[in-house]
Amino acid sequence: MDTVTLTIDGRPVTVAKGKTVLQAAIEAGISVPYYCYHPGISIDGSCRVCVVKIEKMPKLQTSCSTVCTDGMVVLTRDPDVVDARAGVFEFLLINHPLDCPVCDKGGECPLQDFSYTFGPAESRMDFPRRVFDGEGVRADVDFGPTLMLNRNRCILCTRCVRFMKEIDGDAQIGIVDRGYGSEIATFQEQGVHSLMSGNLMDVCPVGAILTKDYRFKSRPWDNPGVVDTVCTLCSKGCNTSAWLKGKPEWARGSRLIRMTPRFNPEVNGYWMCDIGRFNYHWTESDRRLRRPLLRSPSTRSGQAAALEPVAWQDLQPRLRNRLQDAAAAGPVRFLVSAHAATEELFVLKQVTEALIGSDGLKSVTVAWTRSEKPQPEQTTFTVPVTDAPNVNGARDLGYDVGTGNDGTPDLRELRQAVDAGRVKALYVIDPGPDGSLGDVAWIASARRSGALPLLVVQGVLMTDLAGAADLVLPGAAYVEKDAIYTNDQGRVQAASRAIAPPGEALEDWRILVNLGRSLGVALPYETASDVRQAIAGAMPGTGYAEADRLVFTRPIPARNWLQASNPSERWKWDFLFQDLPPVKGHSVQMEGLPPQGAYIPLKPVEP
Amino acid sequence: MAYEPVLTAFVNEPQGYTLDFYLQRQRGYEGLRKALTLKPGDIIEQVKASGLRGRGGAGFPTGLKWQFVLKDTPKPKYICCNADESEPGTFKDHVLMERNPHLLIEGCAIASYAIGARVAYIYIRGEFYHVQEVLEAEIEKAYTAGYLGKNILGSGFDCDVFVHRGAGAYEAGEETALIESLEGKRAQPRIKPPFPAVAGLYQCPTAVNNVETLCNVPLIVLNGPEWFAGQGPEKNGGPKLFCVSGHVKKPGVYEASMHTTLRELIDDHAGGMIDERPLKAVIPGGSSVPLLLPDQLDIAVSFDSVQKAGSLLGSAGVIVMNDTVCMVWLAMNLLHFYRHESCGKCTPCREGTDWLFKLLGRIEAGEGQPKDLDLLFGVSSNIVGKTLCAFGDAAATPVLSTMKLFRHEYESHVREGRCTLPAPWRATMPVFAGSH
Ligand SMILES: Cc1cc2nc3c(=O)[nH]c(=O)nc-3n(C[C@H](O)[C@H](O)[C@H](O)COP(=O)(O)O)c2cc1C
Ligand code: SF4
Ligand code: SF4
Ligand code: FES
Repeated sequence: MDTVTLTIDGRPVTVAKGKTVLQAAIEAGISVPYYCYHPGISIDGSCRVCVVKIEKMPKLQTSCSTVCTDGMVVLTRDPDVVDARAGVFEFLLINHPLDCPVCDKGGECPLQDFSYTFGPAESRMDFPRRVFDGEGVRADVDFGPTLMLNRNRCILCTRCVRFMKEIDGDAQIGIVDRGYGSEIATFQEQGVHSLMSGNLMDVCPVGAILTKDYRFKSRPWDNPGVVDTVCTLCSKGCNTSAWLKGKPEWARGSRLIRMTPRFNPEVNGYWMCDIGRFNYHWTESDRRLRRPLLRSPSTRSGQAAALEPVAWQDLQPRLRNRLQDAAAAGPVRFLVSAHAATEELFVLKQVTEALIGSDGLKSVTVAWTRSEKPQPEQTTFTVPVTDAPNVNGARDLGYDVGTGNDGTPDLRELRQAVDAGRVKALYVIDPGPDGSLGDVAWIASARRSGALPLLVVQGVLMTDLAGAADLVLPGAAYVEKDAIYTNDQGRVQAASRAIAPPGEALEDWRILVNLGRSLGVALPYETASDVRQAIAGAMPGTGYAEADRLVFTRPIPARNWLQASNPSERWKWDFLFQDLPPVKGHSVQMEGLPPQGAYIPLKPVEP
Repeated sequence: MAYEPVLTAFVNEPQGYTLDFYLQRQRGYEGLRKALTLKPGDIIEQVKASGLRGRGGAGFPTGLKWQFVLKDTPKPKYICCNADESEPGTFKDHVLMERNPHLLIEGCAIASYAIGARVAYIYIRGEFYHVQEVLEAEIEKAYTAGYLGKNILGSGFDCDVFVHRGAGAYEAGEETALIESLEGKRAQPRIKPPFPAVAGLYQCPTAVNNVETLCNVPLIVLNGPEWFAGQGPEKNGGPKLFCVSGHVKKPGVYEASMHTTLRELIDDHAGGMIDERPLKAVIPGGSSVPLLLPDQLDIAVSFDSVQKAGSLLGSAGVIVMNDTVCMVWLAMNLLHFYRHESCGKCTPCREGTDWLFKLLGRIEAGEGQPKDLDLLFGVSSNIVGKTLCAFGDAAATPVLSTMKLFRHEYESHVREGRCTLPAPWRATMPVFAGSH
C-alpha cells in the first residue's frame, strides 16, 4: 500500500495515500473537530470547524478537504487555528437553541463536545435567536413516519442531504431558502419516506433529526452498556450495536433501547435499514413465551384442553415420550425457520439423525419469507429480499434449501403429507419474528382437525401456530443468545447476546440438546461455544473452521464501545462519559453466565 | 492620444447589435476565421502574450487559465461564460451582450476552439430577460450564417452556444456555484481543489470566463497580442469597461485604457460630481472591495495600481460617493445585500453576515453600544479568510474598510445615538423590508 508521511503538531503520521489531513488526524488520535465530514458520504467542506494551518499555504485550510502529501507540516494548535476555530464555533452557536436538557442528543452530541473543547467560553451574541417552528421541543415537527425534525437545532452541515442523495439514492431532503434563512426541508413538508431513514439520526451531528422510536426514551448516561452484535432480520447481516438501558435498580437487568449500525466495510458500511433498526420491539412483547406450555392430551368432555404452564423437568419426559410414540407410528417431521442459528441447526441435525436415522435431515423443511423492499434505483445500500439470516447456514450444514438464499422455500410436499395425515408429529422451530415461516395457518388447522396428531412448537412468541400446539418450548430471540449466522455473502458472523431471554426461556441450542439427551443421544455440549467447536471440527477448511474463535462481546461501557467501534467518530467520544461514575452493577448483570442446564430460574420482577 | 473605444464603439447605433452591422463595421467573425487556421495551442499562447486578465473580478490571466484546462482527457470540455453580473455597482456585461452580442458569440467560439470544447454555455443573470432575448436571437443568426454549429466555416470544428438563465442569485456568479447551478443544483460553490479546469461542469474540464473577458478574445486574435498589450500599462493591457455610478453627473459604462486615472474617469468621463459636492470615498471595483479616499484619485484604474492603493479593481464597478453618504449606513446597506445573498453553505458567512447586518442596523439606528464596534470588527475578522468561497471576504470588506477609514462615524453614532451627518441632505436608505 502506498503511504505518505506528514507531521501533525510535530508528530510524524503515516497514512495511506489519498487520505485527508482530517482522516490522518483522526487515525493518529489528534483532536480536530468536524461536522460536515462523515466518512461514509462525500466531502462538503462547508462547516469550517476543521480548519488547520498547513505550512506553505497562505490561508488556513479545511483539513477534511485537504489531501495529505509527503512532508506536509500541519498545525492544529496554532493560535491562528485556535482563534479561527473558536470563531466558527461561536457562529454555530449564535442561533442554536442550547436546549440540551430536553434534546435527545445531549450527552452524545458532537456540538456539545466540540464546543466545550474548541469553542469560546462565552458568546457575544445578544440578538434574539433564529426560531423556525417554535421554541424548545415544540419546535419538533413531523419528518415522515419514523422521524422528527427540529430545525432550530440544525447546524446545516448537510450530512442528511448528502446521505439521502448518495446512500439512500432518493434526494428527499434539501435546503430551502438560502443564507441566514436556510432550512432543512422535504418537498411539501411530506417528510422522509425511506427504508434507510433511521441512519439520518446517526449522521445528524446534533439533535435536529430524531427517530420517533428513540425520542425521549433515554439519555446516553442511562445507556451505559452496548453490545456489538449482528442484525438477523434479513440475509444481509448488518453489523450492529445493541444499546442497553439500565432498568430501575429494583427491577434489575437491562432492556434494549435502540439499535445502531456498526461499521463493517464489507457488509453494511456505516449503515443499516429501518427494519433492523426499529423492528426489535417484538422481543419485548407481551406475547413472548416465558414458560414451557403443555396441553393435556384430551379432557373427559372431549374438548381441547388449554395450554398450561409446566416446568421444564415435567415437560421434558412428556416431549420425549410423545415424540417417540409418534415416531413409532409414522414419520416425524421438522419445520425450521431460517432464523435459527447455525448452532441450533447443527444440534438439530444430530437429533434428527438419532430419532430418524442417517437421512434424518430429510425430515426437516427449512422455511423463510421473501419480500421486495421498495428502494430507490440509485441506492447504494440494497436491503435483500430474503428476510432470514441463515439460509446459507442451513445449506452449509446439508439441509435442503431448494435453490438457496435467493430462492423461495418449498413447503408443498410437507403440507400435502400433513394434510393427508401421513405426518405423525411436526416439530416447529421458530425463533421469530412472527410470520417468518410464511403462511403456516394450514398447520394449525391440520392439528385442530386431527390430521396432524402432534404439534410441538419451539419458539419465542405466542403465535397462532404456538396456540395450536400440544407442547410449546420457549426459546430465545436473536438478541438473547450468542449465535452464528451465515449471511448472503457466505460470511459467518457472530451475533452477541445483549439481553437475557425472558422468564424460563432457554437458548434454542440448549432446548435441542436437552431433547436429544432425553432421546438418548450423547451430545457433549455444555455451552454454545462447545457446539461451535464441534461445528468448526466438522467443517474444516470452510468459513466455519474458525467458528469457535469468533468473538462475542459482552455489554461494555459505552465509552469503550464508542472508541472501538466507529473509527471516524472515535476520538471525540473521549470526552463522553469520562466524568460519570463507574457503570452500575445492574446494567451489566447479564455479563454472568447464562443459566446452565434445565432448571427453573426465579421469575424476575416485572418492571 | 485619445482612446478609441473598440468594445463599445457602436453600442449607441440602433442597429449595432445585428449580425450585418457586426460583419460590416466590426470585421465580424474575422477573428474566428483566423483562429480556425491556427492551432488551439497557438491561440492560448497569443492570449497569454496579450496579458489579458479576467474581467470578472479576480483579474486572473486568461491564457494561463486556459492552459490549466486538462488536455489529456476522454471527457468533453466546456466553456462557461459568466454573465451573472450581480456585483453591486457593476453593469458592463449586459451592455456588451445586448448591444454587441456577436462579439461575445465569436469570443465563445474561439475560446471553445482554443481549449478543445465543443459547447459553450452562457450563464446569464436571471433578471436579464430582455438581454437573453437579444442574445438568443443573434445566436440563431450566427448558426444560420455558419459561425456556430457543425463544421464552422468549413474548418471541421463544431461548436454550440447555449444561453442558460439563472434564477437570480449573486452567488451564482462564483464560478463553481455557477457550474452547480448550470447542472441544475442550488447555486452553492464547491470546495476547491479540484478547480473547474480539472473538474468543472459535469466533472469535466471547464474554463469559466467573464463576458468582457471573452469579448476581448476576438480582438486579440484579429489585432495581435502586441496591439492588445499596448492598450494599457504593462500587464494591464487591453480595452477596459468601467461602470461609474453614484454621485456623478453622468453615470454609465465607459470604455478606457487602464492608463486612465480614477480622477479622469470621474471628472472627464462621468462629468464630475453632482452639485459639485466634495467626493467622500470611492469604491473602485464593485461593492466587495475596500474604499479609496479623495487623496487617492490620481492612481491609474489598472488591476495593479488599484491593488497598490489598497483596494482591488474587481469588476470595475466604480461607486462614487459624496459627503452626504453616511459610512455606517453604507456598510449596513451593503450588508443587507450580502446577508440576503449569502448562499448559506458555510457557517461563517451564513451566520456572520446576518450578525453584522443586525449590529450595523443597531448602530445606524442610534442604539449601538461602545462594545458593538469591537464586536463588528471581531465578527468581520472571523469571516475573512474562513469561508468556503470569496463571498465571505467580500461581505466583510465593507465593514472592515469603513471601520478602518471612518471609525469616527461609527463612534459618533454610538456616542450621539444618531447619525451626525446633517439630516437635510443625508442620503437615505432605499426602501427595503427589514429582512427577506
Ligand atoms: C460571490 C462571487 C460572485 C461573483 N460574481 C461574478 C459575476 O457576476 N460575474 C463574473 O464574471 N464573475 C463573478 N465572480 C468571479 C468568478 O468566480 C470568476 O472568477 C470569474 O467568472 C472568472 O472569469 P474571468 O477570469 O474571466 O474574470 C464572482 C465571484 C464571487 C466570489
Ligand atoms: S438536520 Fe442534522 S444532518 Fe441535516 S443539516 Fe441539519 S444538522 Fe446536519
Ligand atoms: S462564503 Fe457565503 S456564499 Fe460562499 S459558500 Fe460560504 S455561505 Fe456560501
Ligand atoms: S468538516 Fe471540514 S469543513 Fe466541515
